[in-house]
Order: sequence, then structure tokens, then C-alpha cells
Amino acid sequence: MTTQTRRSGTDPGNLEARFGLRIGALLNERAQNTPHDVTERLRFAREQALARARTSQPISATAAVVVGAGSSRTATLGRQPGWLTRFASLLPLVALVGGLLLIDEWHDRAEIEAAADVDTALLGDVLPPDAYSDAGFVEFLKQGRD
Amino acid sequence: MATDKELSDFLKNVEKRAFKRTVYAVRDDDAALDIVQDSMIRLAEKYGDRPAAELPLVFQRILSNATMDWFRRQKVRNAVMQNMSDFGGSDEDGDFDLLEMLETMEGTLGAESAADTVGREQILLLIEKEVALLPGRQREAFLLRYWEELDVAETAQAMGCSEGSVKTHCSRAVHALAKSLKAKGITP
Repeated sequence: MTTQTRRSGTDPGNLEARFGLRIGALLNERAQNTPHDVTERLRFAREQALARARTSQPISATAAVVVGAGSSRTATLGRQPGWLTRFASLLPLVALVGGLLLIDEWHDRAEIEAAADVDTALLGDVLPPDAYSDAGFVEFLKQGRD
Repeated sequence: MATDKELSDFLKNVEKRAFKRTVYAVRDDDAALDIVQDSMIRLAEKYGDRPAAELPLVFQRILSNATMDWFRRQKVRNAVMQNMSDFGGSDEDGDFDLLEMLETMEGTLGAESAADTVGREQILLLIEKEVALLPGRQREAFLLRYWEELDVAETAQAMGCSEGSVKTHCSRAVHALAKSLKAKGITP
């Protein structure tokens, strides 16, 4: 073995791969000795899968096959959704938009009511005597008188 | 699109390995057979129109998902996650052992005599048990890379992880296997 091949042979990645492939080969050998009942069940499973493949592929391929053709209209296999189904599919969207509008309206009303409560409380409250010593409030009274 | 024969040949070629891989994970032959059957049917029904070259990767993905679904159904996910978690690496010192083992194994099992047949069967069984004892992700990466012979990118795609993770899992699996087999006096 040359130095170069020896070096590449001792490369950790290469060693791991060789070891792994060796174990894989041994596992393969072991798998060939699978018990008969298991291989039979696997064969049955395979046949089932192949049967399903045969039945599922023609169905999907012929799903849109034209079964009859008139002068301008064609009929296809499979049911087209009716207007009722289409309308029903829109109902959740309509309900969502309606709900959002109601929430917006309710929110506006709540804000107006809160502002009205604050105004009522301010106007209905007793004016404290200290207010007359406030220059801004006196100016406000003068403006109101003018 | 894979022909009926291509699909049949592929399933025939992969079924035993798929069964064994699943047994390593679920440790129950009947459950493994059910999982493999479900995976085969799903492949045939949903992906039978794919080109034959794509079937191995798709099937490995389906099989992994079906196995995980089985664990979920068994409500033992916590135990599985614990099993699948990686153990800390005290296996960084395996390079020389690995080389030594490789050199030995090419001289032993490579030239089998009739007298060794029983011993060989026992060794194969022990190797299989050690593989089954690997943490789940390590075992999956190892088997996809070195048994199914997918490349790193394909293994990463089948496992839904990065290529770096695949390399790490494989490396840890190899070192763990080498260490455990050596401890049992086995040079595969």
C-alpha cells in the first residue's frame, strides 16, 4: 500500500464509510434470512399495494373523461358543485365580514359613551374655590362672558 | 411515471430492509409489518405516478412518517423522544479502533469457512441487535446512508434535517457500533 493510499484509507470519513457499508452488507445478509411467514406477509402487502396502484391510477386518469357530448355541451364524470354548495361556501366569509362590522360599530359606541360620561362628570361636579386662583380658568371665564 | 413492473420490483427489493428497519424502531414484528404495508399502499396510491428514480426517497420518507405515526398512536412519544435523543459523545476516540476493526474484518468474515457458519449467524444477530440499540436518529441516518445507500443530501431530505446533522448522526452511530461490537469481541 502506498503512503497516499494508506493516508486516504485512514481518513476518518473514509473509514466510517467503509465500516458503515460493511455493516450494511452484513445487515443485508441477515435480512435475506427473514422468516418465511414474514416474507409471505410482505409479499401480500406488496400485492395489495400494487392492486391499489392499479385501481387508483385509472380512476384519476379518467376522472375528467368526456362521457357524452351534445352540440355545444359536454358531460364529464364527477359532480360539479351546485349553486347552493357555492353559496354555502361563501357563508362563513359573509358571517366574518358582518361580525367585523358589528364589532367596529360596538367599539365606536363604547368610545362615545365613555366620552359622554367624562363630560357629564366634569360639568356636574362642584367647582373647587382654588379654581378661581388659576389664571387660565379666570381667562376662560372672561372669554365666556365676552 | 413508474410502470407496474418498476413499482413491483422496487417494492420487492426494498421490503425486507424496510421491515427490518421498522422492527429496529418499533421492536414488534406485527406492528412493523403493518407499518410497511401501510407505507407500500400509500406509495402506490399517492406516488405511483412518480418516476421510478424518485421512489426510494419518497418511500423512505413515507416509512419514517408511518413509523412516527405508529409511535404517536401508541402514546409513547415521550419514551420515543428519549430514545431518539443523542447521547453525549464519548466516542471521539474511535479512529484507530475503527481502522483496526476494518483490517480485521476484511480478513475474517471475508473468507468464511463452513465451520464458521453458526458463529457467523450469531455475529450477524449480535450486530443486528447493536444496530437496534442505537439512538433512533443515529440508527435512521446510519441505515439510510449505509444500508439504503442514499447519499447525504437524500438522507437529509428523507429525515427532514440538515446534511450536517446526517453526517454527525452517521459518525456517532459508526463509532458507537464499533465501540459496542469491540466490547463484545466482535470484529464484523
